[in-house]
Amino acid sequence: MKKFFTLVVMFISILIFAEDVIKIGAIFPLTGPAAATGVKIKYAIEVAQEIINGVYPDVDLDLAKSQGLSNLNGAKIQFIFADHQANPELAMAEAERLIQNEKVVALIGCYHSSATKPASQIAEKYGIPFVAGSSSSAALTERGLKWFFRIAPHDGMETDFFFLYLNYLKEKYGANLSRVAVVYIDNEYGVHASLMVKEKIKKYSGFNLVADIKYPANVTNVDIEVQKIRAAKPDVIIHASYIGDMTMFVKKYKEFNVMPKVVLSFCGGYQDPQFVINLGKDANFFSGTNATTSALFSKMAILAKINQLYKAKSGVDIDGPTLEDFASAMVIAEAINIAKSTDPSKILEILQTQTFSAPYFVSGKIKFGPDGQNLYSASVMTQILDGIYEAVWPEAFQTKEPVPYFPEWNKR
Amino acid sequence: MILQIALTGILVGCVYSLVSVGLTLVWGLMDIINFAHGDFMMISMYTVFWLYSLFKWDPFISLPIAVIVAAALGLTTYKLIIKRLVNAPGLMALLATFGLSLFIRNFAQFLWSPNYRFIGESILSGKRIIFGDIIIGFPQLFAAVGSILITLLIALFIKRTRIGKAIQATAQNRDIAELMGVDTEKIYMLTFAISGICVGVAGTLLSGIFPVYPESGAMYGLLAFVIVALGGFGNIWGAFYAGILIGLAEALGGFYFGTQFKYAIAFLIYLLVLQFRPKGLFGW
Repeated sequence: MKKFFTLVVMFISILIFAEDVIKIGAIFPLTGPAAATGVKIKYAIEVAQEIINGVYPDVDLDLAKSQGLSNLNGAKIQFIFADHQANPELAMAEAERLIQNEKVVALIGCYHSSATKPASQIAEKYGIPFVAGSSSSAALTERGLKWFFRIAPHDGMETDFFFLYLNYLKEKYGANLSRVAVVYIDNEYGVHASLMVKEKIKKYSGFNLVADIKYPANVTNVDIEVQKIRAAKPDVIIHASYIGDMTMFVKKYKEFNVMPKVVLSFCGGYQDPQFVINLGKDANFFSGTNATTSALFSKMAILAKINQLYKAKSGVDIDGPTLEDFASAMVIAEAINIAKSTDPSKILEILQTQTFSAPYFVSGKIKFGPDGQNLYSASVMTQILDGIYEAVWPEAFQTKEPVPYFPEWNKR
Repeated sequence: MILQIALTGILVGCVYSLVSVGLTLVWGLMDIINFAHGDFMMISMYTVFWLYSLFKWDPFISLPIAVIVAAALGLTTYKLIIKRLVNAPGLMALLATFGLSLFIRNFAQFLWSPNYRFIGESILSGKRIIFGDIIIGFPQLFAAVGSILITLLIALFIKRTRIGKAIQATAQNRDIAELMGVDTEKIYMLTFAISGICVGVAGTLLSGIFPVYPESGAMYGLLAFVIVALGGFGNIWGAFYAGILIGLAEALGGFYFGTQFKYAIAFLIYLLVLQFRPKGLFGW
């Protein structure tokens, strides 16, 4: 009898003193072709989890000031990671598993737009909020979903950004840019990005599309693709590629002496710092939009602090897509905290109405529109100069002036 | 431009051929489908990469080591797995090598992470030949010449040497070959080692052009299956010509119909040939 009472007391004590843990599913490519990026995103989400669950007085974020979620008795957040291996069907299955078996209250992910699409459909089916960090396909927020939110600027916004930047180069530097080629991977991200280029180019006078080159997702060589680009003689190449294929393209551009004036990249391979490690000085002068760059760390103290925590884990600086997925983790935790509940409908209401503070972004805040798209998405145009991703436009965030012409390969 | 595209296709096709020659030997001789063939190549690519990364060895210098590693991998696979399955139904070997392939890829990922690695600078990188509008990169050219040489050497070895004839005899009838005094066990081991040598050379030649990562052998392995079936099982020159044919089809088809279709065109040719000639173009 005495033993029984002891056990009962122990059980009750566990129930009373145990801290609540709120589970959030995080679906990313942790193995497979994009695993290098997926693993880095995982580190960023682990940093977000540490900031939320611990006390970080030198990080100026509401959730960093107290242990856990202050409005929920210090409840801890736990991100449950799942691996979609760049496979949309796996992403869907993992979303289902996380909701049904792990009982997560929300989902984040999936980096690949092609994986985010089916996974968020599952979240919609179960009435669970889904906050995508870096998935950029505009199609994601055009589906009329109620439970889906996206932090990154979509590729339609990025395309507008590209053409505004090209006009800036024309006006300020007299760059003669008219012939545009779009080169893209054959998946959700690449195909939709290219559609945006083909659609938006009509809006901007003085530009014409001279090449539309789609390559297979598991490409073994890009010789033919580069030959087609070479034949089209574009002034501007716009890439929607990942790190491996992007690196192969640059090597072939050099080998076949392809000489565009400007190369721009949607979020993807170019933003990964591995691009510079892979290519050394050949990576210089490539450009692309980015949610952040290490050059901005000296201008933004909180970003520098987040990077310090991130670098201790990953060994590299935080990059744009990774920061966007970090933001997705912070936003969903903040929404739960403000809602003071894990009830999905209450979290949804907060996501729909609240403006979230995001001082690690150049825009400083996040607010979702009726379609779930972050209205304050703000990117800077970066260009690799001497191996560093410099912010080159808009001028307000400029860390260095852009180089508007691609120098010859043998004169670098 | 068409000449440039055709040249590019032939150069790419030569490398496909070399990957396929090793596979066709094993398939033709032992009736064993080695699903891990592309992964052996990946291991040799990593060997070259690490020798470059740690000691700054050029792929030229690493070539013998990468070949030894791939040949040893072939031998070990034979000793530990294939030997037990030689007389078993073909499906058993197929499943075993499929499992081996998964193991090698995941083990590579565990050891070296899934990051894409590149050999930065080698003796050949950046060098090229320019004839008017035609540009041929040295790494690609060297890979193609290397492929032709190795294929030629293996073909001569099989055709002209005593051991090569023993290999042919074993392929035609194992029992009779044994009665004639051929140690078929050794012949099988040797075949797996030669298959390893082919992917070892191919991996070394490709490591200067193609990124090194755990999945880097996967697509080459798949294309090798198509090429072997197209060229005729066990036919070395068949695999060589079929490799070039696939490279050309990929290049010309990709250029004129759209690069997204380049693999689809290769697979379509394969299906068409098998419809009319199931033993492949050069099969007997």
